[in-house]
Amino acid sequence: MKNKVKRWTSLAVASSATAALVVGCGQPTNSGSTANTNGSASTVETSNTMVSVAGVRIAKPTHLVNYKNASGTIVWAESFTTGPTASELVSAFEKKYPKIKIKLQVQPSNTDTNRADLTASISGGSSTPDVYMGDVIWPAQFAHSQLAAPLSDYLPTSFWARFSNGLVQGATYNGKVYAAPLFADTAFLYYRKDLLAKYHLPVPKTWEQLESEASYIVKHGGAKYGFVWQGADYEGLTCDFDEYLADAGGSVLTNGKASLNTAAAKQALSFMRGLITSGVTPQSVDTFQEPQSENVFTQGNAVFLRNWSYAWSDSQNPASSRVVGKVGVAPLPTFAGHGTSGYSTVGGWDLYLNPHTKNLAAALQFIDWMTSPQAQEILAANSEMPTIKAVADSPSLAKYSPVFALLPQVKFVSRPAQTPNYPSVSKAIYDNVNAALAGSVSVTKALQNANQQIQQALSGSGSGGL
Amino acid sequence: MSTAMEERDWTRSAGGRSSVVRHDVRAGLGMLIPAGIVILAVTIFPILYSIWMSFNDIQLTQNGFQFTFNGIQNYVDVYSAPLFWHSVWFTVYYSIVTVAIELFLGLLIALAIQNVEKLKSVSVVVMLIPWSLITVISAEMWSYIYNGVYGVLNAILQGLGLIHNPINWTGEPVTAVIALMAADIWKTTPFVVIILLSGLQMIPKDYYEAARIDGANGWQVFWNVTFPQLRGSIAIAGLFRILQAFGVFDLPFVLTQGGPGSTTTSLAMLGEETLFTNLHFGLGAAVAVSTVILILGACLIFLSAFRGMVGEEAQ
Repeated sequence: MKNKVKRWTSLAVASSATAALVVGCGQPTNSGSTANTNGSASTVETSNTMVSVAGVRIAKPTHLVNYKNASGTIVWAESFTTGPTASELVSAFEKKYPKIKIKLQVQPSNTDTNRADLTASISGGSSTPDVYMGDVIWPAQFAHSQLAAPLSDYLPTSFWARFSNGLVQGATYNGKVYAAPLFADTAFLYYRKDLLAKYHLPVPKTWEQLESEASYIVKHGGAKYGFVWQGADYEGLTCDFDEYLADAGGSVLTNGKASLNTAAAKQALSFMRGLITSGVTPQSVDTFQEPQSENVFTQGNAVFLRNWSYAWSDSQNPASSRVVGKVGVAPLPTFAGHGTSGYSTVGGWDLYLNPHTKNLAAALQFIDWMTSPQAQEILAANSEMPTIKAVADSPSLAKYSPVFALLPQVKFVSRPAQTPNYPSVSKAIYDNVNAALAGSVSVTKALQNANQQIQQALSGSGSGGL
Repeated sequence: MSTAMEERDWTRSAGGRSSVVRHDVRAGLGMLIPAGIVILAVTIFPILYSIWMSFNDIQLTQNGFQFTFNGIQNYVDVYSAPLFWHSVWFTVYYSIVTVAIELFLGLLIALAIQNVEKLKSVSVVVMLIPWSLITVISAEMWSYIYNGVYGVLNAILQGLGLIHNPINWTGEPVTAVIALMAADIWKTTPFVVIILLSGLQMIPKDYYEAARIDGANGWQVFWNVTFPQLRGSIAIAGLFRILQAFGVFDLPFVLTQGGPGSTTTSLAMLGEETLFTNLHFGLGAAVAVSTVILILGACLIFLSAFRGMVGEEAQ
């Protein structure tokens, strides 16, 4: 409580200073609670419209909605790839709120096809789905294109305090929150504990250690390949690359500008390429998405695997895995001299609100409940990582999956998704990194090209839009 | 058919019955309206709309698209992007190579099937299997064949001792292009065969008899009888294939995702990505319209080249 008061006062001081500066520049200040328009890149907020919550500054609600007595039917577009998670959630919700009925709409499992489908229907003015699941990297683009409604306009500021640190920030664009974090995901190092034991090797803490251990085990016939990951020409490669980059101390953007012409970027990409040339990773990793890399590991052909949290349960499923009981999981390593564990990319899915919904109250009630302890427990039981502190920080979480127990040790890195042109930025990364992995361009040239294309993409107009 | 034509001519010449003609014309036009509306709605309107989109800066808003006319700016932006010209180049050489090989192979297979006495229908059915498979599904099959770790192709080549280390088929620029082309040729050659086979069956048997009586050998018969008679079918098959090849999307989408790097990014993939991933509708429309113009140009060049080559031979 004391802490909160302190934050409030410092915020008030800081923002009145900003306001003074703005007035000094002779610009008109925003009046009252009329918030900034979507899409404009730089809007000026005055002290009385912004509040700080969950580590991010957001605009105060403009149209608070009382949804306590909501009723009617809404459509929820869900994109869980497996299992009955969605229907379990819906029946629990309908039991608690019998006046609201949820109709499930199953979306394509391919993220890009899913986005194309949602874009087509919502930009066409369709009022359904009222609520939809979307990737954590969509908020800026969807807010900019008005495919998502600003939830923070309708929900009380206190609503956002329930989420774990950093998650609300990822869903914020120009001071408004456009999505409610539904479940999180991140990457881990899966390893063959039987092989490490056989060759008396420890679980690697650094990338260099991983490379030498993998190479040792392969050389002594322990496995066909050392380390498999995702190197294909797609979004997943951006995730993998960002981790090495963060471990080396770099980042894709620095002060809003592309910064891949750095020593850190070179170290990251050289290491990735080096894994291939040294034979630790098969050359065909540059065609691997998650299923291909996971398949090599679960068939017993690799010592190490980088994959998302779901790979744990897959590796323990005797129907598809030959390494049941032989797998260990740890935080990803880092480069020598950069600590004891590496960065993991933040993934996961959010709930978005269709701006054309005809039943705002019921939709908000649904979003509220989906981020409540009851729903988040159901998600955890289905191996999805909860997003609210009440569940995510609870010690009982580890019973659902051993990867949950590792979460306190994981350092997170977010993709640079705060721009509506993130898809082009990401493409500039994965296209060029993939070309370097294939060996068709040098590491230096690939990073030069990526840097230049990211800069073009950030400008948002012109040929950078391709 | 011919009697109807004569009747119409007769009524037209007989001035006294023109009102009946006018009535017929009006009724005919009336019957055309439903079909006309459908064509307008599903063909003409989308084409014009795309062209209009390509001359606008388009923002998505709560009320749908918001158009701001910006002249040829989208085209300037698209044509100044190296990625666009890379996609044009890939699409053009991909189309030329695959269509040429498909026409050549298709002709050989059609001639072979034509001359088969037994099991003719069986061989036609077997040959049609690749064509009847949905491209996305056959592309998934090919991705298992080409897989660099557990792929069938590497297993066979290694088993035969032709290669020592597995080849990363879809992960390296040159082999990725070859792999895509092979999958395309496998899939669409049967289409060419079917069209050429029907063309072959239209050639009157007595042409061959006459040629043989004149003492023509096999090659002369082919070059002076079969080929000229077949040129219409070859033109049709070639045109259809060029139209499809320039729009190639599903094969690279599944097999390479346009990679490695952007090696196998076709124009259609670029357009789709610009429209539905990047949500730049004006730029995407400009890519689409440019693609259409390119395809039209390619078809015209193909037709005129083909006429020049075979037209004179036929006379």
